[in-house]
Amino acid sequence: MSTAWQFYFSTLAIYLAVDIMAVWGLNLQFGVAGISSFAFIMFQAIGAYVASVLTLGPAQPTSFQQYIGGANLPFPLPLLAAGLAGGLLALVVGLISLRRLRTDYQAMVMLVISLTATYVVDNETHLFNGPAGLSLVPKPLFDSLGLSLISYQWFYVGLSAVICVLIYLVVRRFTGSPLGRAMRAARDNEHAAAALGKNVLALRMTAFVAGGVIAGISGAVFVDFIGAWSPGSWLYPETFVYFTAILVGGTGNNVGVAVGALLVPIGFLEATRYLPNIGYPGFVDALEWVAVGVLALIFLWFWPRGVIPERKRRFPRAGEERRRFGVLALRGRS
Amino acid sequence: MSLFVASLGFGLVTASILAVAAVGFTLQFGVTNILNLAFGDIMTAAAFMGYIATTNGASIWLALAVGGAFGALFSVLLNRLLYTPFVRRGTRLFGMIIVTIAVSLIIQNGIQAIWGPSFFSLKFSPGHSYHVLGSMVFTTAQFGIMGIAVVAMLGVYGLLRYTKLGKAMRATASDPALARSCGIATDRVIDVAWVLSGALCGIAGIALAMNVTSFTSTTGGTFLIAIVAAAVLGGVGQAYGAMLGALTIGITSEVAAGLIAPAWKQVVAFAVLVAVLLVRPQGILSEVAEDKEVVA
Repeated sequence: MSTAWQFYFSTLAIYLAVDIMAVWGLNLQFGVAGISSFAFIMFQAIGAYVASVLTLGPAQPTSFQQYIGGANLPFPLPLLAAGLAGGLLALVVGLISLRRLRTDYQAMVMLVISLTATYVVDNETHLFNGPAGLSLVPKPLFDSLGLSLISYQWFYVGLSAVICVLIYLVVRRFTGSPLGRAMRAARDNEHAAAALGKNVLALRMTAFVAGGVIAGISGAVFVDFIGAWSPGSWLYPETFVYFTAILVGGTGNNVGVAVGALLVPIGFLEATRYLPNIGYPGFVDALEWVAVGVLALIFLWFWPRGVIPERKRRFPRAGEERRRFGVLALRGRS
Repeated sequence: MSLFVASLGFGLVTASILAVAAVGFTLQFGVTNILNLAFGDIMTAAAFMGYIATTNGASIWLALAVGGAFGALFSVLLNRLLYTPFVRRGTRLFGMIIVTIAVSLIIQNGIQAIWGPSFFSLKFSPGHSYHVLGSMVFTTAQFGIMGIAVVAMLGVYGLLRYTKLGKAMRATASDPALARSCGIATDRVIDVAWVLSGALCGIAGIALAMNVTSFTSTTGGTFLIAIVAAAVLGGVGQAYGAMLGALTIGITSEVAAGLIAPAWKQVVAFAVLVAVLLVRPQGILSEVAEDKEVVA
């Protein structure tokens, strides 16, 4: 394989890993806990920002870019801090919007939160360096490993794959456990879950914050790879792309949404990259967004449950429990 | 002090535009139970229709009529051809949000594909400037915007309060099934609601384009922050509440913009929204929010 193709495929693989982590985070919030998390991209963005400033080193007043904080932490620490930041932001957003709002109302409020965040970041340049964002973020371990550029690419593919697997294990701890079952119960029938003594708000907040942590980590993996952060790459339509991926893949199903991440952000958006460059710069991008919107509508119309729908969970009646226990133990996890 | 008075003037104009938009948005939700998040982008589309009209020599008043007609037609068709079929197919609350956001993306990027990412302005002369109160200055066009808002608000008030149609709309808003069994043709009422709110949306779009010096494909989308804030503050689905909300948000945000920095305009709108959500999520006038169970 020529070096150019190696670069291309390794880059795609890293993007795919980032997108899969992100849809797992969003699926935990939306698919499992039923929260209309339309501010999702903010959690990824803040994770990416925190990871950048913690690797860039202390801010210099003479530098061309301004940022808050700034430290030079060794590799895994910025990643963990990014997760922490994503979780904290999710906690704040959750306190505003998770408490008493109906699904669509909640989505509207989250959307407005996301729009306002973009607006503030773009206009208050002294906070986050405005639309220019950050650049020259050092790649983790690049100096100490001493690899060639292409070997480093493949090393990073491996690194993001490992992080992806770790996140999958965590996500499964949620979805395959009694906690996940309680979350789904609160999603499907809030009042019934509350009547059975489940704390619906606490369940939602847990899923929301956990999703925020995962989003923050995915943002850190992304920004450490491309080495730049700009508010323009974290607009609310990006959240919409992840939602489309979840809808296409199958809401609530971890494997399904990962397939969705392969089909929508990667497959669909990469395929359009090879369109000839017609019109003015940005014309194809605009058409791409139109196409994403149309794709979401088509899927909602024809396959509202996605390519791989969430498994219908069956639970035995009280009397059947002992007889079918062996089968249940095998099928109980998902 | 003079800065305060001047920004109070801007605030009145912004509040007028916001009132027209927020009443349209909230009527749409109240009567049809669909939170149409493409509202801001339909405003942008109307502004571009106004742009076509004014560049072809139409006066700004004709452009306002064009914008209103476009908004009305577009909204009623959008509901008939897309939203209603999805609702009939069983798409529920969250699904409908995805549908309206998809529509918003399609409109916004469709506009960008056609006209490009550059800035546009309506071709009209704002007319003579009048000093009203110290440093408060209004142009003829701004007086026009405020006049339109006052007429629109009185019109909506009169319609809802004194006409049979208005009564039917209120009945449909509070209980569609009961309204139907009382012999109200709710489908037709809903159509009328889309025409009316769409017209308000289109007029607000042109007024917004008149008031900002230049607009782009994202202008209406950003204005959605203020619309939502005003509608939520007033109690979503409440036309009079939205008027109150628009006055509050419009004036406080412009005063903050004048006294602190322009970027604070949206931040103040947002801060009010957050405060309302924390303290009284059903809004000032809360009947509809409680009927529709948007807050628990």
